[in-house]
Amino acid sequence: MDELTSVFIQEGREQLQTMETGLLELEQNPDDRDNINGIFRAAHTIKGASGVIECGFIESFMHKVENVLDRLRNNEISVSADLTGLLLRCCDHLGLLMDVLENGSKEPEDEAKTNGNALQSELAAYTSNAGSPTPPGQVIEAESEVHASGGGVVDTDSWHISVRFGPDVLRGGMDPLSFLHFLASLGEIVALETIPDAIPSAAEMDPESCYLGFEIRLQTRSSKADIERVFDFCRDDCELHILPPNSKVSEYQKLIKELPEDDMRLGEILVRCGALTQTELEEGLLSQKQADQPVSPQNQDASPLQQPLGEILVDHKVVRKEVVDAAVSKQTQISEKKAVEARLIRVQADKLDQLIDLVGELVIAGASTNLLATRSRQSDLIESTSILTRLVENIRDSALQLRMVQIGETFNRFNRVVRDVSREIGKEIDLVITGAETELDKTVVEKIGDPLMHLVRNSMDHGIEAADIREEKGKPRRGRVELKAYHDSGSIVIEVIDDGGGLPRNKILAKAIDRGLVQPGQSLSDQEIINLIWEPGFSTAEQVTNLSGRGVGMDVVRRNIQSLRGNCEVSSTEGEGTTFTIRLPLTLAIIDGFLVGVGKSAYVIPLDMVIECIELKENTADRDFLNLRGEVLPFVRLREMFEMSGTRPPRENIVVVQYAGQKAGIVVDHLMGEFQTVIKPLSSIFRHLRGIGGSTILGSGEVALILDVHALIQRNADLGAREHNFSRPDTTDFNA
Amino acid sequence: MGEVVRSSAKPPAAIEAAGSAPQQYLTFTLGGEMFAVAILNVKEILEYGAVTEIPMMPNFIRGVINLRGAVVPVIDLSCRFGGKPTVEGRRTCIVIIEINDGEITQDIGVIVDAVSEVLEIATGEIEPPPSFGTRIRTDFISGMGKVNGKFVIMLDVTKVLSVEEIATLSQVGDSSASEAP
Repeated sequence: MDELTSVFIQEGREQLQTMETGLLELEQNPDDRDNINGIFRAAHTIKGASGVIECGFIESFMHKVENVLDRLRNNEISVSADLTGLLLRCCDHLGLLMDVLENGSKEPEDEAKTNGNALQSELAAYTSNAGSPTPPGQVIEAESEVHASGGGVVDTDSWHISVRFGPDVLRGGMDPLSFLHFLASLGEIVALETIPDAIPSAAEMDPESCYLGFEIRLQTRSSKADIERVFDFCRDDCELHILPPNSKVSEYQKLIKELPEDDMRLGEILVRCGALTQTELEEGLLSQKQADQPVSPQNQDASPLQQPLGEILVDHKVVRKEVVDAAVSKQTQISEKKAVEARLIRVQADKLDQLIDLVGELVIAGASTNLLATRSRQSDLIESTSILTRLVENIRDSALQLRMVQIGETFNRFNRVVRDVSREIGKEIDLVITGAETELDKTVVEKIGDPLMHLVRNSMDHGIEAADIREEKGKPRRGRVELKAYHDSGSIVIEVIDDGGGLPRNKILAKAIDRGLVQPGQSLSDQEIINLIWEPGFSTAEQVTNLSGRGVGMDVVRRNIQSLRGNCEVSSTEGEGTTFTIRLPLTLAIIDGFLVGVGKSAYVIPLDMVIECIELKENTADRDFLNLRGEVLPFVRLREMFEMSGTRPPRENIVVVQYAGQKAGIVVDHLMGEFQTVIKPLSSIFRHLRGIGGSTILGSGEVALILDVHALIQRNADLGAREHNFSRPDTTDFNA
Repeated sequence: MGEVVRSSAKPPAAIEAAGSAPQQYLTFTLGGEMFAVAILNVKEILEYGAVTEIPMMPNFIRGVINLRGAVVPVIDLSCRFGGKPTVEGRRTCIVIIEINDGEITQDIGVIVDAVSEVLEIATGEIEPPPSFGTRIRTDFISGMGKVNGKFVIMLDVTKVLSVEEIATLSQVGDSSASEAP
């Protein structure tokens, strides 16, 4: 696939996203003109770009879509649920077509074709009925944004387009021919003259430069803006003049003056392509010698796109100042927007990954240098390495920042999902999104989509009740699903909240007994019952719907999240709703760690979780909790837990950690201080290992293990509960 | 960590394509017995040292080492065969073996008593594995090679170092060691 196509696909998908978001918005606010225009622009850009890369099937499809949108924009048809539904399906189809293009196929599959044809005929229904059908080729008055402003009107019904491509057009990957092809899709090109005047002598000619210009007469019903948009891709590189049909002679004069070619020669060309008659030309050239002709005010709503023209018009008091100002400020806005876009650089994701890898290596190498410097006891060296370390830390942070993306984009996808699913299952459900601007690692964002999808669908399908039942229960008819994201002590928390019926404990328990997950007589706390939904093969839906309920869901969700070093919890109040809470690490690559030692081994505790370090007093030898300024602090002894040989040192330390609002202590031998930790994943051999989240390489070249504090403490809590065989003291503690 | 030998790492898939031509094998000793693995599976051989133990793992998983920035697990082959843990001596080595498990290629280190030599063993010189008597699970053995009148046990590394199986075993090891329901 060539570069142009891949750029098209990438940008096309973005436009598609814009279109889809716009359409969803349209359902809520059918009268939002800006929004409709936005959707139209997006559709048009896709069509235009597909024309440039000569992808016929997308272009023709989008042409139909655009026609409908155009009528919508002109108030010829009104917004209805059917229409937006149809347009959304068109978006889906377009996404499909882009897949086809991406896979390098020339034509979509038959099934897709049939689907596309069906959609096109549905679209046709909107273009043909209602309003006054306009035969193609005739200019709709409302659409031509620029009207002639009096004077001798040239007798022609076609647009006149003068374009001079800049020398760099070919180098930029644009083919002037494809623009012309695309132009032809707007209407009929009546006449076309190539202007080869700029071509230098063969010796001086650069084969990579473009020297051509064209004079085109186009019969179309499109507006000036539409025609301009055809040339969007090379707008900066070419000189473009567009004259609407029936322009006055002086407009043509101006055109002739502005174009670089000799006036007479150009005049002849214009005559040849039928824009002007010989008499008109002569008349024009004559009057050109006279001073600026006064033009009679006829049409005030002209929106001149070329500023000089605007000034002239103001000079002659043809157009009111405000109108021009408005037009100018619009222009400025557009160029500012372009400037913002230009500040973004598209970078291949693997280049970024490579950078992060290198920064990781740099951090490890820096740690080793630091170690050597400390050992050498040379204060100069230590100072210079500490400066180096600080810089490396900054580089690390900025490098990781590059990979951070807002979660909003992922969340917004759910607008569509919620809309479609709620229609499908006949429930009324609103989606509320909060914290869309929360940033997290790109890798995490990519992988969180599927589990979230599952949870949202589950909430809609099983959680939210049907509207009638809701009313009976005294709840608002419309159900509510909320997606929420926020940062909390070094991790990101994503919540899926619904205000549905909550998890039915009795049903879950009955099912679990049925499946043999629980023994009939066993007494379980509410939280334990709820946690049964994470067991493999568990599903309480009485009927299997095509949304969820195949019982493959929740354990897969949990596994996916755990593979991102995260975890998920569920809490539910029967009758009021369910909250799924997903906790994920901010990044998968490098973290700030706190290095501790037990025996000869070193372990890393994520620094964000560490609150303080205290010395373990002797008198706690036979119990595993202590009094931390009046609070009970349970702790785990790493040496015992990891069954390590060797004796305890006389002085042990406790690292107090906090996770998900809970505090706990970890007893270790030594504290070794902060350590920038480059996370190296452990082999999949260790995937069942709980309590260890990964590994890292120390300055000395040795491997240290990273503790997964949450799993470690939870494991201990489970063990404690089992060993003493009493129900857990507080089941909300440390439960996933 | 000194590097003793380093062979060019080729994908193990090449082995099947090799046909009947004599293939090269790396031979090593373990508990007095001679073993061989196809050379194409062998990535490099390292001097034993600096193994970081992983807690809560069965004893045949010795730990992990830093292989030029990558963290690679190390298996005690003797334990894996049901014997005693290897006691490290002067000639103890870690052989890094590349495992192609479906789509993922993984490096795993194995501890051996001593690396001997690289030998060519013709296909005709390879006998099928005996159904019992080697004290090693038969599915671990791909054949018995005849070298200088002695038998060499040729290992099927994809079975011996099956990631799937080791992961399952480590889970069992973990729960039996600490959870004891």
